[in-house]
Amino acid sequence: MSDALLSIDKLTKTYTTGSALLASGKTMIRAVDAVSFTIANGETLGLVGESGCGKSTLGRCVTRLLDVSSGSITLAGTDITRQRGAALRETRAGLQMIFQDPYASLNPRRRVRDIVAEPLIVHHRGTRRDIRDNVAALIQAVGLRSEHLDRFPHEFSGGQRQRVGIARALALSPKLIVADEPVSALDVSVQAQIINLLTDLKRERGIAFLFIAHDLGVVRQIADRVAVMYLGNIIELGATEQILAAPAHPYTEALISAVPVADPARAAHKTRIVLAGDPPSPANPPRGCPFHPRCGYATDICKTTKPALEVLNDGRFTACHHPRQG
Amino acid sequence: MAATILRRLIHMIAVLFGISVLVFLIFFATPGANPADRIAGKNASPQTIARVEKEFGLNRPLPVQYVIMMKKLFISRNLTSFVNLGEKVVPQVFKAAPITLSLVSGAAVIWIVFAIVIGALAAAFRNGWVDRTLMVLSLIGISMPVFWVATMANLITQGVWHHTWLFSWVPPLGYVDFTASPLGWFKALIIPWITLAILYIGLYARVLRAALIETMQEDFIRTARAKGLTERQVLLRHALRCSLVSVVTLFGLDFGVLVGGGALLTEVVFGLQGVGYLTYQALETLDLPMIMATVIYASVFVVVSNAVVDIVYAAFDPRMRLRR
Amino acid sequence: MSNLLDVTDLAVSFRTRSGLIRAVDGVSFSIAEREILGIVGESGSGKSLTVLAILDLINDPNVVIAGSIRFKGTELIGQKPGVLRRLRGGAIAMIFQDPMTALTPVFTIGAQIAEQIRIHTELSRHAARSRAVDLLDAVGLPDPARAAARYPQELSGGQRQRAVIAMALSCNPALLLADEPTTALDVTVQAQILELIRKLRDDFNSAVILITHNLGVVAETADRVAVMYSGRIVESASTTALFADPHHPYTWGLLGSMPALDGIRRPRLATIQGLPPALNRRPPGCAFSPRCAFVRPACINARPPLTGTEHQVACIIPAPERATARTQALAA
Repeated sequence: MSDALLSIDKLTKTYTTGSALLASGKTMIRAVDAVSFTIANGETLGLVGESGCGKSTLGRCVTRLLDVSSGSITLAGTDITRQRGAALRETRAGLQMIFQDPYASLNPRRRVRDIVAEPLIVHHRGTRRDIRDNVAALIQAVGLRSEHLDRFPHEFSGGQRQRVGIARALALSPKLIVADEPVSALDVSVQAQIINLLTDLKRERGIAFLFIAHDLGVVRQIADRVAVMYLGNIIELGATEQILAAPAHPYTEALISAVPVADPARAAHKTRIVLAGDPPSPANPPRGCPFHPRCGYATDICKTTKPALEVLNDGRFTACHHPRQG
Repeated sequence: MAATILRRLIHMIAVLFGISVLVFLIFFATPGANPADRIAGKNASPQTIARVEKEFGLNRPLPVQYVIMMKKLFISRNLTSFVNLGEKVVPQVFKAAPITLSLVSGAAVIWIVFAIVIGALAAAFRNGWVDRTLMVLSLIGISMPVFWVATMANLITQGVWHHTWLFSWVPPLGYVDFTASPLGWFKALIIPWITLAILYIGLYARVLRAALIETMQEDFIRTARAKGLTERQVLLRHALRCSLVSVVTLFGLDFGVLVGGGALLTEVVFGLQGVGYLTYQALETLDLPMIMATVIYASVFVVVSNAVVDIVYAAFDPRMRLRR
Repeated sequence: MSNLLDVTDLAVSFRTRSGLIRAVDGVSFSIAEREILGIVGESGSGKSLTVLAILDLINDPNVVIAGSIRFKGTELIGQKPGVLRRLRGGAIAMIFQDPMTALTPVFTIGAQIAEQIRIHTELSRHAARSRAVDLLDAVGLPDPARAAARYPQELSGGQRQRAVIAMALSCNPALLLADEPTTALDVTVQAQILELIRKLRDDFNSAVILITHNLGVVAETADRVAVMYSGRIVESASTTALFADPHHPYTWGLLGSMPALDGIRRPRLATIQGLPPALNRRPPGCAFSPRCAFVRPACINARPPLTGTEHQVACIIPAPERATARTQALAA
């Protein structure tokens, strides 16, 4: 794909845990297992999955906060997989991150003005006066007022702090923002405000997002396409409405049916698939399809052969021997 | 659990090796000082120095010297003092060790028991008068220097009030071997035990109180209350067990240090010829082989007791077992 | 029909240097036997404090609890500690939000459940242990005998929450207080736990008060719902009625803020402007008035009472105007 802004190819991230002295205690964990996808300019890809599925690790690899074990990351035609030093700093200017806990990611001893200005100063974007004007404009763009500029992070509510985090991420006009669970720590009403803000920014500024979340409703609200992860693998990838309305992978199906519906009338008629047990540990993944021990449709082939992520007739990708759709 | 122990033991051996190398280098490879001069002691004759040079292989490469030294310390155990001529050093350390061990273990039992009682009481009545009184007392305990307390104790039990009914049972200063007379052993040590324990009671009670108060804010304490446990059960069963971890950590360090000679002042004042006393004498006479032996053995005690404590720790708190 | 629990005009306040702060401000509700009541609200709405007050579990020396809490006819406020203690874990049990921290890390699951059983029954240590294993089995923990011998941190989040629930059920409580029991869990695990809670009334005859911020969770689980805002109940109705015909503008705001999984994707979510008031600066009238799009002069000064019988609401918007206003609110 030539118009891809970000292109991830067979990205793998492994960890080793255990003692340095005793080799027997060592285990290799494949947190992300040969994952490939692309994000086009201005597109939002939602990355969903449950805790431990590797979605956050993947996000951190993409922003190069973590080193990649193998595979490649290409951003706007440049291979950034092993970039270091000045080149990496330049890349980071166009590739920002928003975190789940806005409080932990803001320096508590600095004023909002300085927090938002910092990336501009570090990257020498304009004179002092330009920067000041720029910061004022950014703060307004995220729905805060100029009197907020001289306050400290602890003087804000969770939603306002997340706005500050967004303003900082926007400062260098990035092409791509990796947002890791940006609204999951917020109350419902505040969460809606932040989702609306991100939707507006995406439309007005043409920023592409890798939007990592566990809440399917939130992802549906903001993402153009969705990738579903399970045990380090992408098991389904396609247009948001297509996947949420008619999932092809049994795990996606179960995930969607597990989301409680705020409508008792519909909840009563819903077919609910309650999965048994917990996801297996990534240190000890099952043979064959990673989902087969919990899957209601599994057959013998699922126990032996791991299905590849393949395109279906309707254009989506799924990694399943017995897809429900397409 | 077995893996935890094994890992800890390997770690322990590595640390001991490191310490022995370090101590060896300090004594044998400090620039500008001739180790033979120092081993031979003050005003030694040239013949003695030559003998030392030969015996310790001082003209051979450093690794060889290290091996010779370790052999003398641990295998042949025939390292001799040149200050007190012909006196074998290692057996002396072995003679002193049980005395120190008796002193420190007894004191440890006292300080642990009292610290737990005081810490738990203070936490249970936190910010009340019981808490404040106990914490002031423990602060006093921490602030009193041990040699002063020891001297005072001697003054009272051996001097002014020795002939009153209160202290007439106190034997003269010195150590009585446990195998010779268990009661004598106990009588000889009870005053030194208390003296040594006072500082640690104060210290541990304060640490435990702080840990308990912190633990009492945890979610699982609320669960324990919601189960219908009494406040006392919540404190003693659920909070105490989790808070003891911080005390066990401290204990490992303090116990090792004391057994390794840290109880020097108490030993000297009470005339107990333990490891600390030995070090004290060796330092006075600059008896290098003796200093070296006590330092090495002391570090063995510290490291071993630390390893034991870590293993106890894992038994105590299953969280430690899982952590790698 | 006699109620299992009647809470009347409950107020939970905290003494501070700047005076008394009322975190729960006059809350009344009741729950019948075998009923599941959902209490919904955002952080700071006082929903957790309301439930903790029932068992006097608010661990703060500066707390002041006033009003009346009657359980099976017995007043609990001001009750002797011994009486409350016998209720805790016995007739009234509790489940907390974070299963990661809710169990004591140094005791096995089985020992912790058995401990509670032995507080409230005469069972021997051995019998309590085997009952603990039975309970773990009943809440669907695989290999319950082995699970009983494990430490909390050796289980996954979902398994731990099952263990917490097993412990809560150990003495057949008439009332189970569940404080955000699924918030810390993944959706597929949440679905398992909610299914379990729904089954409790059949298997254990327990009534449940389910506290949550998630409207979806109440919609799928509760018989009745109370919506709390700034320490007060603003709307209370049967689950069907509340979702079919929500009366209070705050409820509309909550519903509008929730991104739905089906139906038409709205380009923007309907939001509520601003933030809830600080508890010490609650406006004199309706606490929601500063954020309400339908505020009238009468809202500013007088606090609207909770009116109605089956479907109660604390709002003065007249019934005929309600539907129009709601459509307007949800469209925004």
